[in-house]
This record gives sequence, C-alpha cells and structure tokens, in this order.
Amino acid sequence: MNGLPPPKPIMMKERVSMLFLEYGELDVLDGSFVLVDKTGIRTQIPVGSVACLLLQPGTRVSHAAVVLASRVGCLLVWVGEAGVRVYAAGQPGGARSDRLLYQAKLALDPTARLNVVRRMYKIRFGEDPPARRSIEQLRGIEGARVRATYQLLAAKYGIKWTRRNYNPDHWDLSDTPNKCLSAATSCLYGVCEAAILAAGYAPAIGFIHTGKPLSFVYDVADMFKFQTVVPIAFKIAAKETTDIERKVRLACRDAFREWKVLNDIIPFIDEVLAAGGLDIPKAHAEAVPVAIPEKEKTGDDGHRS
Amino acid sequence: MMVIVVENAPPRLRGRLGVYLIEVHCGVYVGTQSKRVREMLWKQVVSFIDDGNAVMMWKTNTESGFDFVTHGKNRRVPVEMDGLKLVAFHPEAIQRWA
Repeated sequence: MNGLPPPKPIMMKERVSMLFLEYGELDVLDGSFVLVDKTGIRTQIPVGSVACLLLQPGTRVSHAAVVLASRVGCLLVWVGEAGVRVYAAGQPGGARSDRLLYQAKLALDPTARLNVVRRMYKIRFGEDPPARRSIEQLRGIEGARVRATYQLLAAKYGIKWTRRNYNPDHWDLSDTPNKCLSAATSCLYGVCEAAILAAGYAPAIGFIHTGKPLSFVYDVADMFKFQTVVPIAFKIAAKETTDIERKVRLACRDAFREWKVLNDIIPFIDEVLAAGGLDIPKAHAEAVPVAIPEKEKTGDDGHRS
Repeated sequence: MMVIVVENAPPRLRGRLGVYLIEVHCGVYVGTQSKRVREMLWKQVVSFIDDGNAVMMWKTNTESGFDFVTHGKNRRVPVEMDGLKLVAFHPEAIQRWA
C-alpha cells in the first residue's frame, strides 16, 4: 500500500488571510493539523488554505505540526499581547535565488531603487510623487502625508489622536487608538510577510525602510495600510472599550477579504519591482543545470514543494 | 465553492482533506479553492479511498449551477438526462426477505 503524496502548498490568492489560535496544543492527527484544547476538544485547522497562523500565548506546537505547516507553506507567527509579533517560522523563504538577486540588484542600484520607491508612492497615494526628488525627500513628503492622514482619519471617527506611539515593553501605557493600530498592523504584517515569502523574495531587503529584518514587509504593508487597517483600528477605538484587540483582528480579516488583499499583494510586489526597470538576472554562463528536475508546482513561485 | 463527502474513508485520507478543507459534518468537507486544487484533492481521494466511496461537487456555470463526480460503490449513481446530470438511486442488491 502506497502512502499519500506529500501535502503541497497552494496559491496565496486561494487562501484565507489569517487565523488566530489560543489555548491548546497544535498537533497532527491522521495527517491533519489539529488544535486540541485542555478538555480534549479537537479542532481541525485547514492550514493548507490559510496564509498565516497567528499563535497567541497559551499555545504549544508539536514538531509534526510545524513540519506540516511548512510543507503546505503556511507561515506561523508567534504573537504576544494584542497580536504583536514575537517570532515567525514555518515558511522558510529564500527558495528562489533569481528573485533574491533581482531584489538585491534593485535595492543596490540607486536609480532602480528610486523608481521602485516612486512606484510605491504612486500606489499608496494614487498619484505620481513630485519629480526630481531624492528618496530622502520622498520619505519626508510621505511622513508628512502619513501624519496628516492619521489626523484626518482620527477626526473622521471622532477620536483623540496625539501621535503614533507605543512601547512593546509597557503595552498598557499606550492609548486605545495606538493599541488598536498596533494590533491591526501586526495582522497586516503577518499576511504581507507570508506573501513576500511565497513570491520568493526576502523580507529584509527593503526600499523605503531599510536595516530591519522585516524592512520589505513594512514597505509592502504601507501600500495597503491606510485603505484597510488604519480606518478599522480607529473605528474600533472610537466605539469599543472591551476586548478591542479581538474586534480589531476580526475586522481586519473581513477587510482583507473585502479588499482582496491576498489577491493583490503578489501582483503589487511584482509591479513595484518591475518599475525599477531591471531584468531578472539570468544564470551565469558556466552554471550547471539543475540535476533533479523540479516537480510540478501547485503553489506560488517561492513555495518549496 | 466545493464540497467533498466521503464514506468509509481511511483516517489518513480524512486527515489530508482536513489540511485544506473544513470538515463541517462527519465526512463532509467544504472549501472555496480553484479547479487545480480541486483536481489535486480529488486525485488523492480516488487513490486512497480504498473500499469507501466519495462524491465531490462544486459551483460552476452548468445549467444546474454545479457539477459533481463520484467514486466507489454507492447506491446513488449519476445519470445524464438531456444534458442535465441527475442521480439514479438503485434498490438494495440483496433483499432482506430473500
């Protein structure tokens, strides 16, 4: 009797954006990803159809569960209070050297990098940035626009807004709008990181943001942030007083579905990188061809299958 | 939208279906994946159902708005009638009073 073929990743756009799990052991039973709570109740989690799982305090994960999640290309993100990210694993990334070299080439070439940044600006604000500006200047313009947008949205939802400010070490000291915003952006970062890895790029090589492990995640997330998660965070900060983090998460998932964020992320990434005007590097002439031919792909380019 | 219903299926197959779909009822799996994923899952169902039986249905632009395939022994057998796919329900093979 032959075994089942190994489980394979499916495309990002066919997945649910994210799922938050708490209190229970994540394990594999009969080949399926299961959350078992302390009373023994089992809940099957369709990991293959989820872009990322956000594991809250109170979860334990078995070796087999991590193996299955990585086989189907589901990013596991361990989060702390209010869903702020602690650590991520499960979807290794770095599967496509040509994409990594392409991304690095764009980031290293000053003209290409400026073009990428300008396209990001255009997607974000719906108009071309002023001509002949350096990245420094664009960043300044962007910062001013962002602060104004925060003010505008805060006024629209009738909340008191001072500035974006939070301290992960003293979570409770942040004000409600900032807490909501942190919870909402960490949802978006999880989804963006999963998409970047699935497309075969490196989360660390950013264009506007640099020097952080998730620089490119912040770049990509910023293109969606003000349409999706910021209004949600402010709306909930204005209305709700209890259980705000959970309400923010639920609203974020609805918004991701409504805006088809998972459909759009990878095409947007391709679009901004293509704006750099460089070609994907070809293998050098003396390169040895791949010895074992690749199997048929079912997932995105960066998935290992 | 797609639904897979399995009867008498080995646990490993049911576990596998649970990796991509949601088991809403014993042996009933539901999801909204593409044709490619649907075909990948159905191939696994057919190869690993052993003595069990299965049906998969999905939303599509046929006259009835959906289509389905079956596998394994079941008293319900799909029949085509004037281009519309219906199901014939066969009498029990061994009658109890015989």
